Amino acid sequence: MPTDTALVAATADLLSRHAPFDRMQADHLAWLAERLALGYYAKGEAVLAPEQGEARTFYIIKQGIVRGEREGEAAWLELHEGECFPIGALLSRRAAISHFRAETDVFCYELPAADFHGLLELSPPFHAFCTLRLADLLARSQRQTQARYLSAATEQQSLESSLGSLIRRDPVTCGPDTPLHQALKTMREQGIGSIVVTEADARPLGIFTVRDLIGRVILANTPLDTPMRALMSPNPVALPPGAHAFEAALAMAKHGFRHVLVVDDGRLAGMISEKDLFSLQRIGVTQLSSAIRAATELGQLQQAAEDIRQLGHNMMAQGVGAEQLTLLLSTLNDLLTQRVIELECAANAACRRGFCWLAFGSEGRLEQTLATDQDNGIVFVAQANEDPDSVRAEVLDLAERINRALDACGFPLCRGGIMAMNPKWCLSLDEWKGLFARWIDAGDPEALLNASIFFDFRPLHGEARLADELRQWLAAKAAATPRFLHQMAANALRNRPPLGLVRDFVTESGGEHADTLDLKLNGATPFVDAARVFALAVGGPGTGTAQRLRQAGPKLNIPPPEIEAWIAAFYFIQSLRLRRQHEESESGQAMDNRIYPDRLNGLDRRILKEAFRQARKIQARLALDYQA
Amino acid sequence: MTGWLRPWRRDLTLAPEAAARLAAWQALGKADLALPIEQGRYVVVDVESTGLNMRRDRLIAIGAVAVHDGRIRLADSFEIVLRQAEVSGKGNILIHGIGGERQREGVEPAEALLRFLDYLGASPLVAFHVAFDETMIRRACKECLGFEFRRPWLDLAYVMPGLLPELARKHRSLDDWLRHFGITNTARHNALADALATGQLFLAALPLARAQGATQYSALQGLEKAQLWLNRGS
Repeated sequence: MPTDTALVAATADLLSRHAPFDRMQADHLAWLAERLALGYYAKGEAVLAPEQGEARTFYIIKQGIVRGEREGEAAWLELHEGECFPIGALLSRRAAISHFRAETDVFCYELPAADFHGLLELSPPFHAFCTLRLADLLARSQRQTQARYLSAATEQQSLESSLGSLIRRDPVTCGPDTPLHQALKTMREQGIGSIVVTEADARPLGIFTVRDLIGRVILANTPLDTPMRALMSPNPVALPPGAHAFEAALAMAKHGFRHVLVVDDGRLAGMISEKDLFSLQRIGVTQLSSAIRAATELGQLQQAAEDIRQLGHNMMAQGVGAEQLTLLLSTLNDLLTQRVIELECAANAACRRGFCWLAFGSEGRLEQTLATDQDNGIVFVAQANEDPDSVRAEVLDLAERINRALDACGFPLCRGGIMAMNPKWCLSLDEWKGLFARWIDAGDPEALLNASIFFDFRPLHGEARLADELRQWLAAKAAATPRFLHQMAANALRNRPPLGLVRDFVTESGGEHADTLDLKLNGATPFVDAARVFALAVGGPGTGTAQRLRQAGPKLNIPPPEIEAWIAAFYFIQSLRLRRQHEESESGQAMDNRIYPDRLNGLDRRILKEAFRQARKIQARLALDYQA
Repeated sequence: MTGWLRPWRRDLTLAPEAAARLAAWQALGKADLALPIEQGRYVVVDVESTGLNMRRDRLIAIGAVAVHDGRIRLADSFEIVLRQAEVSGKGNILIHGIGGERQREGVEPAEALLRFLDYLGASPLVAFHVAFDETMIRRACKECLGFEFRRPWLDLAYVMPGLLPELARKHRSLDDWLRHFGITNTARHNALADALATGQLFLAALPLARAQGATQYSALQGLEKAQLWLNRGS
């Protein structure tokens, strides 16, 4: 069949307008284009579904919109011209997780799976695009069973350590002709659950584990003199000693094996089991938290604080999801703060007074990122006959010592002075109520700003009943003052998500932040603010954004899929913030929340757009409830 | 020069090699038009010419794409510019974008048509406004190769109104239908780009035809005929 290259060249040219094709070598692009077919899907038609089994085709959208939906989840992935799917499924040779449907009339370029794998080997930029995206996908989709190791990673891990460093003992092996009874005897003597079958030159041939006993030996009535080559699982998964423990965990998750061989230059060097990886993970968090609990001096806590940050960065590097990561960081920081207070209290008489240490802002919401400063205050008990000012004088000294100790641990003093050592934020219960009441009644811009920080208070140490009472009082007061909720809502709506009218982002257009987006202010804040208003409206006790949305949703008759879509969008933005901070910290820059949307890969950009679209939806709901 | 400029002559004789290629093509079997349309190969064609007069104007270029098993296979496409003794007018060049030089450097017409036949094989053809494409190709074949080009054609200009009668009144041209399906054409009046766009329109027609029970090329031809009668009646 004669081949004309004009259409192939034109298609390559068309593709090169989109990532990752824009970075691919021209001959690789032509290689791809001449293997493509162009297919059509009418509006509403299914392009790809999990029921179709292992993914056989790589799709690149030529024109139209494809919507990816997960079973039981709200729609949240829209794919446009130049975008591709289902990369994860093709990489791991499984069925797609999402249903892909043509949202408009769609034309897709289609590449057979075998050629997709060929292109992966051929083109490094294409390979990078596909695999980095997978890491991203894994981090996002904690609910997938495949990511079970990642979710287990909410407990610390040295999953970055090399496999070579994890080998505990020489592997126990036998030859392919070793009879079964002898292999079993060795396993029993050594007290091990698995044995590797190797050639004389230590090349691994297969693996046999006690789990294989039932099926292959007992039920199959296998004679005990059968050679091991007939009973082993051949072609075991093997990784080089330099591979990360994380890769071993992924390989196990992917293939459903419990063992991975470590093979150096073709020769067996050791074996890593699932148990090795799990124990590795548990030690970290337990060790860190018990080190904090057992600390007796500031120096130890400083070290622990450094370890927490290191842990955060490690987990970040391994693609742990934002929800787990922020929760874990906040939990460990809580523990650390509590221990700092306990140590200071041991040396200070003021502690005999009843008081409660409050966390505000992101710490109050359990949403701390890698870059975080102090936001705290104190509520103390003052008897009816006591002058609050004199109590305050006693407590302030203690508060300052705590603030300074936290500063020494790497939580910088708050530039806005929102700290317990500031007399303004070290108040008796009645004073807090009076202050909150004034804000609620005034509703001026400053009051609204304060409300957005202080109303996220959470007790950290001391007499939690004080905070609980304040929370209950605030819920009643806010619910009884609908005008205030309207003002809060209006204030929140002033901060619009930066989504341009068509497909592009609205970015800062000049100055030092040209072409950047503030992920905190423009991305996360709309969700945080809306959740706060909803929580105040229904009087919920939660302070976390996701927690607040889940608590308020049913009472406000918001369908659960909508709530979950908002939460997913919020955490995606949080994960981008964390990733950005991680990168900045790795390269020694100051951490902030600014990103260049142009530098995101196409998929992240697309999801970010979708996240901003969700931010608009939550704001639309807020506007519906609180504006005429 | 070739017989291209002269009126068609009965005494046209082909070089032996060209005659052999033509004979080989003519010996190809006929395509099975009753095959399910998701199977087999169909060739979607678009031609460019010196003008719209089917009797006087000359064929300048042929573009074609092949639909295999319901999908356009990019590597199986065809484009050729026929050598012109006389470059077409400026206004015409502005339409198809094939400049004077490219027209003069084109492939010798008999050779160009033989290559097209090679590419076509036994596949049935599809076009939008078949009358024009078919006439231009048939006339060129008669003049340069001395034979009558007769192959099955399917005309989307009649099939589409038959599939979407509610749109028929407002959708007449290829551009109207492309717009309806959001099919973008980066280079309108480039024979290959137009063939690709027409090919996409053909793909879009298939699910609609299936919904009406027309699952074969022959059934689509039936639809085309019915629409032709309908148009005559109105």
